[in-house]
Amino acid sequence: MRCVAVAEGPPDSYTRRKGRTREISVATAIRTEELSKTFGQTKALVSLNLEVPEGEVIGYLGPNGAGKTTTIRLLLGLIRATSGRAEIFGIDAQADPVEAHRHVAYVPGEATLWPSLTGAETLHLLGRVQGQVDTAYRDLLIERFEFDPSKRVRALSRGNRQKLILIAGLMSRSDLLLLDEPTSGLDPLMERTFRECVKESRERGQTVFLSSHILAEVEAVCDRVAILRAGHLVEVGTLAEMRHLSALQVEADLDGAMPDLSAVPGVSAVEVDGSRLRCQVAGSVEPLVSALAAAGVRHLVSREPSLEELFLAHYGADGSEEGTPDAA
Amino acid sequence: MRRKEVYDPRRATRVVAVATARRAGRQGILWGLVFGATIAASASSYYPTWPTAASRAKLALSFEGNAAWAALFGPLRRLDTVAGYTAYKSGMFTIILGAIWGLLVATRVLRGEEDVGRWELFLSGQTTRARAALQAAIGLGVGIVALWVPTAFLTAAAGGSSKVNIGLGASLFFVTAVVAAATMFMAIGMLVGQLAATRHDANLIGAGALAASYLIRMAADSDSGLNWLRWASPLGWIEELRPLTGSRPFAFLPIVALVAVLLLASVRVARRRDLGASAFASRDAPRPRTLLLGGQAGLTVRLTRPTVVAWIVALAATGLVFGLVAQAAGSALRGARGLERAIERLGGTGIGAATYLGFVFVVAAGLMAIAVAGQIAAIRGEEAAGHLDNLLVRPVPRWRWLAVRLGVGLGLVVVASALSGLAAWVGATSQQAGIGLGDLLKAGLNVVPPAVFVLGIGGLAFGLWPRGAIGVVYGLVVWSFLVEIIAAAFDSNHWLRDTSPLLHIAPVPAADPNWTAAAWLVGLGVLAAVLGIAAFGRRDLVGE
Ligand SMILES: Nc1ncnc2c1ncn2[C@@H]1O[C@H](COP(=O)(O)OP(=O)(O)OP(=O)(O)O)[C@@H](O)[C@H]1O
Ligand SMILES: [Mg+2]
Repeated sequence: MRCVAVAEGPPDSYTRRKGRTREISVATAIRTEELSKTFGQTKALVSLNLEVPEGEVIGYLGPNGAGKTTTIRLLLGLIRATSGRAEIFGIDAQADPVEAHRHVAYVPGEATLWPSLTGAETLHLLGRVQGQVDTAYRDLLIERFEFDPSKRVRALSRGNRQKLILIAGLMSRSDLLLLDEPTSGLDPLMERTFRECVKESRERGQTVFLSSHILAEVEAVCDRVAILRAGHLVEVGTLAEMRHLSALQVEADLDGAMPDLSAVPGVSAVEVDGSRLRCQVAGSVEPLVSALAAAGVRHLVSREPSLEELFLAHYGADGSEEGTPDAA
Repeated sequence: MRRKEVYDPRRATRVVAVATARRAGRQGILWGLVFGATIAASASSYYPTWPTAASRAKLALSFEGNAAWAALFGPLRRLDTVAGYTAYKSGMFTIILGAIWGLLVATRVLRGEEDVGRWELFLSGQTTRARAALQAAIGLGVGIVALWVPTAFLTAAAGGSSKVNIGLGASLFFVTAVVAAATMFMAIGMLVGQLAATRHDANLIGAGALAASYLIRMAADSDSGLNWLRWASPLGWIEELRPLTGSRPFAFLPIVALVAVLLLASVRVARRRDLGASAFASRDAPRPRTLLLGGQAGLTVRLTRPTVVAWIVALAATGLVFGLVAQAAGSALRGARGLERAIERLGGTGIGAATYLGFVFVVAAGLMAIAVAGQIAAIRGEEAAGHLDNLLVRPVPRWRWLAVRLGVGLGLVVVASALSGLAAWVGATSQQAGIGLGDLLKAGLNVVPPAVFVLGIGGLAFGLWPRGAIGVVYGLVVWSFLVEIIAAAFDSNHWLRDTSPLLHIAPVPAADPNWTAAAWLVGLGVLAAVLGIAAFGRRDLVGE
């Protein structure tokens, strides 16, 4: 079941949410409150407030070292929170991880399996330990990922190890899938198979938390996207919303003299090349359009930023704050 | 995209040599200190233990030519001299430990590092692999020098003291003989590290080679008609050197030849095989065996079974050998004044097979402590390698995982000690030593409390300080050994003795078990384990 009420609303409401009603938290797959983790001097995660309603597929993005893996390991109770709270289906994931894990399947980006076990043995073991396996689905996954379960883990290539741990995670049909760069090392064909699996999971009502560096993958399967930078959540929302809220790229060919745009509200990153002007504009385009009209426009193109531009702007150390409505 | 200077393969492989030298060197110095202390303690305990010429003559008379003793320790010569006694007392012990160390450090460097993929960072292209193996060999050579120097220093210092008086040349020859054993098995470790599929397999093959070479020389030494067999065993060559009892340097020839051949072979194999792969074709797709894979406990059994079984067999075999020689050894002990006093102090009386067994079972306690430390290292290894993540992200409580792992350690201890007692009884009875089964089972189980203590401390260290746990538990074991050696040398009620869990047990069957001490050791061990389990539940999982 999709809980629309939580998914809607401006992004900054996700970073400042307290005291929600009980009703909603029942339908909430993941909920963190001021969740923080500090390693020695490093603030890996700072006051994360995030809610993921049941049935949603959310992309979790951020540059290397942003704190994505840290978040997932906190949700799993593998590391202890410095402060704050993490809940999975209303269960305190730090205090009662065993109960929480009954609803969760986890796929790490790097498979660290027992080298002496074969693929089949590993799947058997992990299925038993998990306590639930859809065996028909497991066999289907093995077929779809073209995985050979007879070999020892030691003898598998990196991509094949990743397939194994992916199958081990998906085969339980858990309510919540925590995926941390699950497709690292997979070839494009397998990557596509993975996307199909995620889509099926969503159709079955499973919740998916997908941390990834592959933007096309995130764009293809995710309902919403959260962006983390240096431990801070800087953006949450649907891709459409995020596009809408970020700066437009404007290109214009001018007839007359170049106008002074420094006073025009919302305009930034102005580049002039002869009679050609390139800039970004946040908020309303009206002031810019009137300024350009006064100077005489021959040709004007505006477009929304590509996904990649959107994320590069957020990932970069600077130059991103203009595009970020909530300075988190 | 590599920067140009990083790409230089010669520079890259030098990193291998330096890293290897650092690891092997540090360990070498440590073991050199242990060996040196052992040899020095043996030498300086000679005159205090055997104060009169008559007692020394009797010692020589009863042990020299004793086949059981020779089978265990190698041929005994000149026990009426301090040099001969030192060779007997510390020779086999340091030779075996040195060989084990050489094997482990070599497979660690040539295989362990590779198994975790560290070498791939340095290596590219075909020739660099051979060069890396060569560089690793150089690094290991540094380790050998690091082992030799402190051993030689302490041995020469003890030998030079007026109370001992062993010539400098003889001392250094002895030390070189001991280190030669470490060198040979290091070279064996290098080669099997290249041949086997994993470090674990390499260690098993190397341990097999060591056991075979010990057994061959055992057969050679137990019957004078078989003495020629010594030349078929690397450990036999060390015996043929006759350190401290008439040095015979020509026996270095096969030793040097073996090391050279093994070195050449491992460099050649390194050139030809793939990184991370085995030179032997190994079965990569065996029939699946899921019997034990129904849960975490079964998995633990499956993963630890080879080591646990090997330890149980080793300890039972030790018990059997103890039993076999007990009768002969017991009668030979008469006249050792220090021993009699030591036994009285520990609550025992008289001298005989039972006394002998009471003393040697302290050795079994030491072996058990090493086995337990290995279990703690395996527990930490599961976490460090990330294997544990796969279980703990599923509905497996942390406390249960650790409790099961520690339980396996406890099971190993109980089964191995009971079997060693039983095997000792079988051996002793075959020699008409006349010691009851009950007494020897008690002697075997008597070593359980200190092992439980070590296990508990290891569990606590794992819960509180995962990265230091292996160091703590091996440190405790090494410390116990050192205290034992020091205490033996000074023959006193030194307070240091109290810091070693091994020295709190009574010499059963010569005395009754010390129930109070046993209760304390078990109680503290269990308490520490419980605290460790609680601490483990409250901490981050940490990788390497
Ligand atoms: N066990 C640890 N000890 C110390 N610092 C850590 C530890 N784990 C993570 N960190 C630090 O915390 C920060 C966040 O790391 P994290 O692994 O969560 O990043 P990430 O977003 O998953 O990055 P990547 O995209 O590279 O996987 C980094 O600065 C990292 O160095
Ligand atoms: Mg990560």
